[in-house]
Amino acid sequence: MFRNYSNWCLSAIFMLFIAGAQNVQAQGDGLFKAKCATCHQVFKDGTGPKLFEVRKKWEDGGAKEGSIIQWVNNWEAAVANDPYAASITAYSPTNMNKFPDLSEEQIVSIFDWIDSQEEGGGQAATTADMTAGGEQEESSLNWIWIVIGVMFLVIVLAVGGVRRQLRSAAAEEDGEDFDDSMTYLDEIKQWAWVNRKYAGLIGLVAVISVIVVLFLGLYTIGTVEDYQPSQPIEFPHSVHAGTNGIDCKYCHNSVTKSRTAGLPTVNVCMNCHKQISGRTADQQAKIQKIYDAAGYLPEGAGEYTGVTKEIVWNKVHVLPDHVYFNHRQHVVVGGVDCKQCHGDMTKMTQTAKVQPVSELNKVEGNVQLTKTTLTMGWCIECHMEKEISMGSLDNKNDGYYNEIHKRLLNNDKSLYEQYLEDGKVTVSELGGWECAKCHY
Amino acid sequence: MKINRKIIVRLSVVVAGVAVMSSCSADKDSAGLEYMPDMYRSAAIEPYVDYGEIREVTHDDLKVRLSAMVPPSGTIPFYGTDSMTVALNLPYHRLANTSFKLSHGMYDAELTDVNEYEAAAADGNMIKLTEENVEGIFAKGKELYNVNCAHCHGDKGDGNGPMVESGAYVGAAVLTSLEISDGQMFYSIYYGKGQMGAHSSILNKEEIWTVIHYINKLKDGSYGPGSEMMTEEVEETSEENQPTE
Repeated sequence: MFRNYSNWCLSAIFMLFIAGAQNVQAQGDGLFKAKCATCHQVFKDGTGPKLFEVRKKWEDGGAKEGSIIQWVNNWEAAVANDPYAASITAYSPTNMNKFPDLSEEQIVSIFDWIDSQEEGGGQAATTADMTAGGEQEESSLNWIWIVIGVMFLVIVLAVGGVRRQLRSAAAEEDGEDFDDSMTYLDEIKQWAWVNRKYAGLIGLVAVISVIVVLFLGLYTIGTVEDYQPSQPIEFPHSVHAGTNGIDCKYCHNSVTKSRTAGLPTVNVCMNCHKQISGRTADQQAKIQKIYDAAGYLPEGAGEYTGVTKEIVWNKVHVLPDHVYFNHRQHVVVGGVDCKQCHGDMTKMTQTAKVQPVSELNKVEGNVQLTKTTLTMGWCIECHMEKEISMGSLDNKNDGYYNEIHKRLLNNDKSLYEQYLEDGKVTVSELGGWECAKCHY
Repeated sequence: MKINRKIIVRLSVVVAGVAVMSSCSADKDSAGLEYMPDMYRSAAIEPYVDYGEIREVTHDDLKVRLSAMVPPSGTIPFYGTDSMTVALNLPYHRLANTSFKLSHGMYDAELTDVNEYEAAAADGNMIKLTEENVEGIFAKGKELYNVNCAHCHGDKGDGNGPMVESGAYVGAAVLTSLEISDGQMFYSIYYGKGQMGAHSSILNKEEIWTVIHYINKLKDGSYGPGSEMMTEEVEETSEENQPTE
């Protein structure tokens, strides 16, 4: 009984200890993220050195006791006080911020939290998105059909051969003279003559279907659906826009300012990749290309060398020269979402491609279209369907459209009312079908 | 014997046919057939287009060697004729520190040894909040913030954006508890600070000041035209946000 009691006592103390430790952990976690993470990482040198077991490092280096706490509060005081602390300043020319408001207990809790971290833990989530699945399955499916077709042909030919041999054997037995010189073609001709009604009908159907297939083939000339040029870096949009929730307009930032959406310059990549150098070998190889382009050495504190290299991306959505398209007009004024034309990039594990219209229609909230992506029919169709802001009738998008609405009201009220009969004003009704809007 | 040979010949024809068919499967690197290429290919330079081959003539000197470059340093964008906008977007008068060369790759920029970050504390927001423009500025600021800042700093400024939640980042600065002046915030966004890179290639000065207004609003819900002017009534809240004018 007493032993049980003491056991209970011990476990209670233990539980309290754990609870307390978790409390300290939570505090250290929060403080680290709020105060230190801008410059320091746990397992990797960055703007500041890595902090895993940094107290041990200082101790081994011969630092005075408590000088690391003093360093966090005010590094200059620690430098004056301790020669080891002074040697730390050689790490990087960037000075550390001072944190005089952190208490010793808080600083210790930060270090405790850091030392309790495990390398690679809880960070493997994003790698799962990296594997490309769908496309490969599809092509292997095609191969299965081809193999089945070949097998079927072989069986048909083999059965035909057996049949002929049987017939010739049967004829021999009956003492008749079997005409072995008749080829398959002759046989087919003979059969066709006997059943000429059916043969004629089948022939007609075959000719019509060949013509239809040819015409459909002609329609694919000059269309770029499924175009997916190879890129210098196998860029996974799903990780960037999906897992990490980066807005399209952060990297393609000229989309709100210019005709082209723009490719991110390497310095934009480096805004994040200065810290993120990849976990798998595959990721590291890709990110190394960014480092080469930016002229960045990720070792130690990381520094730029000034020797840069170009990354040459291949343009995916190429419009003919005789078409004028403006991203700013569509994204800023028209308020069209990127996914209307580019599909759901948050799920795109591969490099960008011209999404077929069937894929675009699957995206929630998209205007449903039927014509091939990036053809004139496709643009026109959307201009017919897409509702623009109601202008004077609603005030969410004032300015540009309000002015057009006002002019319509003043010029021809009956026409305006005609437009509003179906309850919406479409792009085409405000001149979106004028030839000169896109061709000049 | 005769039949067997026939079968072999036919089989080989079928196999060859299948091989030809399968080689027709889509090449992703090809944009497909096009007619009238002279109407497709622009003679004028278009962004990111390879001009190595125009009208079946190869021009080695025009092959794409560059893609997505930052404008040369010292170039000034055209901001129209509105003198207020132009004045707002004149080049930033504070230079980056010499150490930014190594830490942020500013090899082309003009640098200084003076601690301009400290000096920037004296700069006030160049966009003045008024009762008329405040709503528009906060709306625009929110839009810019969500696009450019929220993935790290979180849409509430709590340093808990999707980048941090996914584990890609260890953490990002908690903007709501950041105790720096507007001018220093501007300097940090413009040139970068710590792990954060320079955002001057993405956001112009007008946009950065707009975002700073919104960040102040995130820090303090009552931030508005009054607190900017440091009037008597709102002095308590304004002191943190607007140290000097």
